[in-house]
Amino acid sequence: MDDRELGMLADTLHKTMSAAAAAETPNVEGALAELGWLEMLDEIPDQASALVFRLLGETGTHAGVLNDVVLHAAGQPGGGTVPLPFTGGRWVIWERTGDSGSGLDGELPIRTAPAGEQVPLAAGRRALGWWLVGSSRAMLSLARRHALDRVQFDRPIASFQAVRHRLAETLVAIEGAESTLRAATDDLGCLLAKAAAGQAALTAAKHCQQVMGGIGFTAEHDLHRHVKRVMVLDGLLGSARELTGEAGAAVRALGRAPRLANL
Amino acid sequence: MSSSGESPATVEEFRSNLQSWLADHDLTPGPDHSLAGHIEQMGRIRREMYDAGWMRYGWPSEVGGLGGPPTLRLVVAEEVLGRNLAEPGPYSMMEVLVPNMISYARPELAAEMVPRYLRGEETWCQGFSEPGSGSDLASLSTRATPDGDNWVISGQKVWTSFAQFSQRCVLLTRTGSADTPKHQGITAFFVDLDSPGISVRPLRTMHGVDEFCEVYFDDVVVPGDRMLGNPGDGWQLANDLLPFERSTCFWQRIAYLFTRMDRLLTDAPDASDAEIGAAYLALHTVRCKSAETQRRFADGAKLGAETSIDKVLLAGAEQRLYDTARDLLPGVLELDETSWRPEFLYSRAATIYGGTAEIQRNIIARRLLDLGKE
Repeated sequence: MDDRELGMLADTLHKTMSAAAAAETPNVEGALAELGWLEMLDEIPDQASALVFRLLGETGTHAGVLNDVVLHAAGQPGGGTVPLPFTGGRWVIWERTGDSGSGLDGELPIRTAPAGEQVPLAAGRRALGWWLVGSSRAMLSLARRHALDRVQFDRPIASFQAVRHRLAETLVAIEGAESTLRAATDDLGCLLAKAAAGQAALTAAKHCQQVMGGIGFTAEHDLHRHVKRVMVLDGLLGSARELTGEAGAAVRALGRAPRLANL
Repeated sequence: MSSSGESPATVEEFRSNLQSWLADHDLTPGPDHSLAGHIEQMGRIRREMYDAGWMRYGWPSEVGGLGGPPTLRLVVAEEVLGRNLAEPGPYSMMEVLVPNMISYARPELAAEMVPRYLRGEETWCQGFSEPGSGSDLASLSTRATPDGDNWVISGQKVWTSFAQFSQRCVLLTRTGSADTPKHQGITAFFVDLDSPGISVRPLRTMHGVDEFCEVYFDDVVVPGDRMLGNPGDGWQLANDLLPFERSTCFWQRIAYLFTRMDRLLTDAPDASDAEIGAAYLALHTVRCKSAETQRRFADGAKLGAETSIDKVLLAGAEQRLYDTARDLLPGVLELDETSWRPEFLYSRAATIYGGTAEIQRNIIARRLLDLGKE
């Protein structure tokens, strides 16, 4: 698929997912299936998951497509579910139907499950990394808008350096994480990218929540949906904290810091 | 010219030729670990590697170069700094001095001077900051006044790295009248530091390496043909450095920091996974970001405000690495004479030099996030 075709696909996906978000029907499982998600995953697995997962984050929609990415990497057919490791030694199933669950992010049909089989996680981690940076961009966009619109002391709060620097810090974290995602080609690279993306998302949640003040704490405003979502996504397939420790163990075992990104 | 002077087909071939050359040529630093020793070693590296061709790649033939993309310079830097053959500070000066000379000096001046620098015959410095002009560089007040074919310069510079070892200085001065807008009243000169009226005083710093100097100019006469560009071009010259600082210089620094990470793994074998992992993740992140910036730069992109992100990531990764070293080597920095000590102390400046962490965040907020004025 060339750049032009990929651009058209991105437009279509963006329109469909934004429309679902606007209609308050954020589960896009069916819409993605109709657009040929599983075929995309077969033909252009890396590009398709980067695109779809990032858009899930940016638009605040959701679907259990992580199952497909993990199954695809394990050489199994998509469409179903597979037990997914969660932080703290827990396991979950991400159901393909249903619109609610009992977890922190009640929109996601995720339930705890008995331990499953070990499966390759690199592709799933990278895909989740894209979702996390997409959600981070959504939070940054909400906080930026709020900072420009909200007037206190007769001026927009965006004019205060303390506010500006929090938002700048958020963008730095997101951009850094995206670079690690684009560079992720092997197991360690994908693990690091998921850790960087998880960390960026938690940074975005903290700073954006603070910038938004009281309104960001209400359930009327969308921010809380993204905040809760990134906490759940961070825990899936290893949290930033866990993966950072794993990266440290790997580097210590090697006795040398691998130079994964090169010219 | 040795066989290495032949034009390489690919960057990888270039790197592997260089690696074999380095394996055959022992450039290990001598026992003198003083700052003067570092400068001498830098000169030796430049001389031997210029004569063998390596220091000439990535620079145009007009100034003694052998052409090829700037990526070749990055490869040379990586291989030299990755072996700790030279110190990263003196090495990086090349990337902020030579491009300015190529772009702004008269062609004859650049052709005469640049090869002397590349071959390590001379050391140069950069006179930008002043006591009253740090973050607000455009407010600088060192004055240059025309006098026939000459200019007469008076004022004071500070934080001028390696001035005490330098023969020449790329100097920013204030020209024009009181009505000239401040960014348009800055003019650059290429000044011989042995000119009468110049005195250099090294500053004692907290890490014990007296790299930075105060440089005083007292009615110093500089020929008009030493002006870089035209009157008023100085601010543009200073801004033109940014892409080099943010691409090639940063890549050099990152290559160096990875060697320190390797040494930390050796020196602290019982370290915790979490702390090593966090330090490594920060370094890996800035390396990924910077690699993209190098590629964009090599493809001819104009680098701008977005590289403030690279700067924030780099300063953060550098300080985290050395904070981690101090945590994982308890008592070592404080009680033992170890190179971790000056390196740790120097890392405190990472969020200050080259535009403070606050200035970078101001740029990101204004230019990248479009948050309007403060």
